[in-house]
Amino acid sequence: MNIIEIKNLSHSFLDGTLGIDGINLSIKKGELIVIGGQNGSGKTTFLKHLNGLLLPTEGTVLIKGVEVSRNIKKVRQMVGMVFQNADSQIVGETVFADVAFGPENLCLDRPEIGKRVSSALKSVGLTKYAEKRPHLLSGGEKRRLSIAGILAMKPEIIVFDEPFSSLDYPGVMQVLEQIISLHQSGHTIIITTHDIEKIVAHADRLLIMHNGKVKKDGMPDKILKETEVFGVRAPCATRLGVEVASWLN
Amino acid sequence: MRHQTGSRGCLMAELTVLSYRCGKSILHQLDVRTKLISLILISYTVLRADPLELAALTSILILMMINSRMPVKSSLKAFRYFFLLLLLVFSARAFSTPGSILIDLNVIKVSKQGIYDGGLVCWRLLLVILFSMSFVSTTRPSEIKAAVEWFLIPFPFIPAKRIAVMMSLIMRFIPVVFGQVKDTADAQRARCIENRKNPVYRLIKLLIPVIRRTFEDADDLVLAMEARCFSENRTDPMLLSSRKDWTFLFVVICLCIIIII
Repeated sequence: MNIIEIKNLSHSFLDGTLGIDGINLSIKKGELIVIGGQNGSGKTTFLKHLNGLLLPTEGTVLIKGVEVSRNIKKVRQMVGMVFQNADSQIVGETVFADVAFGPENLCLDRPEIGKRVSSALKSVGLTKYAEKRPHLLSGGEKRRLSIAGILAMKPEIIVFDEPFSSLDYPGVMQVLEQIISLHQSGHTIIITTHDIEKIVAHADRLLIMHNGKVKKDGMPDKILKETEVFGVRAPCATRLGVEVASWLN
Repeated sequence: MRHQTGSRGCLMAELTVLSYRCGKSILHQLDVRTKLISLILISYTVLRADPLELAALTSILILMMINSRMPVKSSLKAFRYFFLLLLLVFSARAFSTPGSILIDLNVIKVSKQGIYDGGLVCWRLLLVILFSMSFVSTTRPSEIKAAVEWFLIPFPFIPAKRIAVMMSLIMRFIPVVFGQVKDTADAQRARCIENRKNPVYRLIKLLIPVIRRTFEDADDLVLAMEARCFSENRTDPMLLSSRKDWTFLFVVICLCIIIII
């Protein structure tokens, strides 16, 4: 069953620049998709269409059959977005308050908000920091906090924009474990990155974007050798001609 | 709960005096409406108080700051530019108020009355700022938003929710802007801005990137809020007043009446 249907999606910015150009895509429920591409290839612009932060200049985006432009609030509840800069997402004065921000916007009652926040913090392992100031967390913890903020809204699809950028090795491992755990619990995951090596071993599908278009779409092992043509570094294992291993091993 | 501000703490951690800090002090436990009314009453009273009464209010303020574990050193550091403003106010008063002359430099005359008036005005302003800081650092912006909305609801034709959201976002952004000022200033010091002696040049070079980054950060924050379904109609924090609030308010009102009368 397709949870996301994208038909002929194009987006032009106010200055006339074409951000994305004629994308057609179907994404199945429960898939983990990695979108690779160099800076400026249109990855973030594409992601922003999935929860209505940008609306198409042409084409349609359907999430579970709902057209994004027609019911943005419902779509934003279904599609959680974790931004590249975790600091810019922090709106709460404490970790608890930050995670509660989404459920509060959904006008849930206080006991339900409390339940959702506790559950989200537990699932990302931040329960003990509930009363801590978010800005005092490490990079990996801040990224997990962003994920908790999304989980508290109970989305079925989670999109990550460059989830590993600016993270040290332990931070990358924490976030990677979290993403895999979310995938295993049935969420549909879409990740954009220019550094595909960290996640591609877990991907069901790999897309390569270039100049706003999807240039390659398929099983990772079929595409990995061609990524460097589009400015995306192939994993070391691929260069050495062996199978790509998970960073978690 | 007190927070760790170890090496991991970023710039924001240094700015705790200008933003909310968790805690269990008396001020933390009070209802935001009680604190807001008290702040207004005390601020008005401070402007009418004489030196002896100001000394009493200063003592109360110091006790409150100790109780809510406010970091005195970083508070003073955070207000270092405000002290420049106070110095300006003091100088203006000292030079312009007529009275018995203490220092006579032909063009500039400093009067005894001027020094007294200048000192009093600065003391009052400093107290108002420190009382406000105590309020801000012990109250969550979301509670301030809820309280502003609660106070504005009886007034028709005033968009209470919108004003409350704007206020809470301003509170949210004060430490962010201060953080950007510090980041930009550090980056410019690293490139020897101090060799340029013209203060106007340095101010322009500081303000332009700070304003640009503030707008960019505001834009990022708006996107993140929108992505999480932000709207004016949302679940606000529960405002609950207890006996403690009424007692505190009664004490504040009595204190203000005694000082004003």
